Amino acid sequence: MADPGDMGQAVARVEDGPLVRGHGQFVADLRVPGCLEAAFVRSGVAHGLLRSVDLTASRRTPGVRGAWSASHLDDVPLVPAMLYPEGALDRPWPALATDRVRYAGEPVAIVVAENRYVAEDGRDRARISTEPLPAVLDSAQAGRDEVPLFPGLSNVAVDVTVGEPVDPRVWERAAAVVDTTYRYPALCHTSVEARAILSRPEPGGVLTVWCSHQAPHRLRNDLAAALGLPTDVVRVIVPDVGGAFGGKSETWPEYLAVTAAALRLARPVRWVEDRAEALSAGPRGRAQTQRVRLAADADGRFLAMELHTDAAVGGYPHMGAFLPEVTARMATGAYATPEVHVRARAVLTNTPPLCPYRGAGRPEAAYAVECTVDLLARRIGMDPAELRRRNFVRPDAFPYDTPTGFRYDSGDYPAALDLALKTLDYPRWRAEQAHRRAADGTPLGIGVCAYVERSGAGGEFGAVEAHADGTFTATSGCCATGQAHATTFAQVVASALGVDRHLVHLVEADTSVVPRGVGSFASRSMQNGGEALLEAAHRLLAEARRRLAAQADVPEAEIVVQSGGTLHARGRTRTLGELAAHHPLRAEAQVEPPQAFPFGAYAAVVEVDRELGIVRVLRLVAVDDYGTVVNPLVVHGQTYGSIAQGLGQALYEEAVHDADGRPRTVSLLEYLLPTLSEIPDITLEETCTPNPATRLGAKGAGEAGCIGVPPAVVNAVADALQIDPSTLTVPLTPETCWRAAR
Amino acid sequence: MNISLTINGEERQLDVEPRRTLADALRDDCGLTGTHLGCEHGVCGACTVQVDGTAVRSCLMFAVQCDGSTVRTVEGLAAPDGTPHPLQTAFASEHALQCGFCTPGFLMLAAAALEENPALADDPDGLRELLTSNLCRCTGYEAIRLAVRLAAAMRNTGGT
Repeated sequence: MADPGDMGQAVARVEDGPLVRGHGQFVADLRVPGCLEAAFVRSGVAHGLLRSVDLTASRRTPGVRGAWSASHLDDVPLVPAMLYPEGALDRPWPALATDRVRYAGEPVAIVVAENRYVAEDGRDRARISTEPLPAVLDSAQAGRDEVPLFPGLSNVAVDVTVGEPVDPRVWERAAAVVDTTYRYPALCHTSVEARAILSRPEPGGVLTVWCSHQAPHRLRNDLAAALGLPTDVVRVIVPDVGGAFGGKSETWPEYLAVTAAALRLARPVRWVEDRAEALSAGPRGRAQTQRVRLAADADGRFLAMELHTDAAVGGYPHMGAFLPEVTARMATGAYATPEVHVRARAVLTNTPPLCPYRGAGRPEAAYAVECTVDLLARRIGMDPAELRRRNFVRPDAFPYDTPTGFRYDSGDYPAALDLALKTLDYPRWRAEQAHRRAADGTPLGIGVCAYVERSGAGGEFGAVEAHADGTFTATSGCCATGQAHATTFAQVVASALGVDRHLVHLVEADTSVVPRGVGSFASRSMQNGGEALLEAAHRLLAEARRRLAAQADVPEAEIVVQSGGTLHARGRTRTLGELAAHHPLRAEAQVEPPQAFPFGAYAAVVEVDRELGIVRVLRLVAVDDYGTVVNPLVVHGQTYGSIAQGLGQALYEEAVHDADGRPRTVSLLEYLLPTLSEIPDITLEETCTPNPATRLGAKGAGEAGCIGVPPAVVNAVADALQIDPSTLTVPLTPETCWRAAR
Repeated sequence: MNISLTINGEERQLDVEPRRTLADALRDDCGLTGTHLGCEHGVCGACTVQVDGTAVRSCLMFAVQCDGSTVRTVEGLAAPDGTPHPLQTAFASEHALQCGFCTPGFLMLAAAALEENPALADDPDGLRELLTSNLCRCTGYEAIRLAVRLAAAMRNTGGT
């Protein structure tokens, strides 16, 4: 009989109705009576001593209801550190700059007015006096500590080593050693809805906050702590979110300033970040500089790998200091390299703050490993696919403990690569390449990337309740930002209960209704949140069994659960709804599955116009293994989107600053996102290795395209031009490729 | 300044500052918040609406420029009885939206184009050029392209 929960089926989303009718409720769409709008006065210099902030003219602007800099506040809230507080110790980050600014665009004052136009009028009338200091923009320069961002403290906020040091003799005795450097630029998340928050003080000292966010409970706790409020008076509601990609997990200084202003005025205050702010002063991702060394024996078997990576974490380490260590731990890649040693540093720079961006440390690791594998293949004259096959962690070696301290749960890396090459028709493209080379035609290259990533972290909450009317409520600690939780979590719960999925309604993203939760980032929602709901659904069934056993006076063992959410015992039949008629029938679960390691293989075919330097991606194959897939429509959609962002990273996107640290990519005419015209012919394939640690079997999905595409495309371009991939720097702009083709 | 426009079939009198954009007038003065602002400099297309039948970026037009015009927003896309426009149905069935923030702009862009040229969906380059007008960060666009083609086919067969 068909599963009424449609587990594993590509069913259309239940979320879409309001969104296609224009009835979505994003933060900017909320109609809150009396709501004021905020604008920020931001530093025009990247590094300097803040001498004075004059808001006199701002305050005189008709319609301005308040304007504050740090000097106008008795107590400036401090921005809390996310995940890695060690790096933020002794480096306070005031929500509004106090005596020093550490990146261009840092908030210096907030202006609150009747509408955004007037708020910006007031903003433009503010006068800031800053004494400029030298700006240190890259991690190598900043790491020398000649210009400290926090006087008396090193700019190196985090310095960790992972894995055992490599015996120097390994390098001496190896048949081949490659040694190279990479630069992964700073990127902007560029969700089409930028950041947004609306804080409304309520009678009785309660505070309601609507925020475009990924982790409402963390935001609630952070706001309460930073503003000196009891946690239980703060309610965070996440309405519709217009994309997040890691940039909405944090408690940003602007959120604290807006909320502080709302409390001072006892009025609702909203801030909707505009694109210029997002691109010039908003969150950044990636920004790593790497040195990689890889040694192999005469057969191409890897002997050792060494990585040193420095992340430019921006003016404050609070959001991004943990990222280099993620890269360090993922530096083993898909290979059984016996020795891997990594040094990873988080270095303060006079750039906007770094935070996780889709992939969060894993794309940087995959880039270092996969481009270097191609470099080695070129040096020793071996087919890059064959070199990978020789070095993969073997399918029978799981669970596999990596030299970098992770335990890979399961996988079949050769199968993923073979499927990718077969789908691509690798021999045909190699033949085409040979033909073009013989005929001096347009250079064509093939690049592959075999990736492993990490998904899920920490615990998650789920609850399922049966109602007498036959419907069910599923409550999750996760927080959708476009991932279709209302559809897919309902599939998981309904399938477990044997009921129609339309009877299951999801509640999440409201801290007054969901008792606890972690949120949606690190590809954790289905792996962890789905597992919590599945566990809760099974506990609900167990409780229903006990209840019917007591009512019918039969042993529990005789009770049979049948489809349709019904239980049978000795001729008595009860639905879950009937069993919930007199007493609440509800079950909770808190699960904490270990992190999982989804994997796959990407293959790209490109051609490079020698005269114009333009890269054309002719074909892209993505093979992903996400474990159990609950809804292929949703997962494939996220894979597509992630691939598009991966293409952006490979070919177009970079947040650029001038020599003084002022942003140069301040509009979408400078920071280039892929459009439909940049999307190549893509084929998605899957293998399925269920998560062995969970009942559901799901691993994380949605970030792989950002991880797999950049190395595949860079390797393909290097292959086309017959050069070392390390001589190319992403994004592969026409100028970069034109120079490389000389 | 006082202006008068017809928005989704309804006559509206507005008193707006000369600098007020059409997008803000629609959203804040008329409460039609389905039109979203993604960049406010005319690149992303999330704010696309139809003015006198033509798709425009409502962030790049002043409201006063639309005095006397007819404006259609995403809220006016479905039939008066609530029947969804074929594009609305097709976007859902093809999974052409994830976060849904850019969706109203794509819908209004495609609706205007299909009305002008119902055969556009059969012209791959023309359709690609059209949809290249707008940005989406979630879907990778392929599902949007398929949805517009499906909607065109639904229109041509008279279905919804």
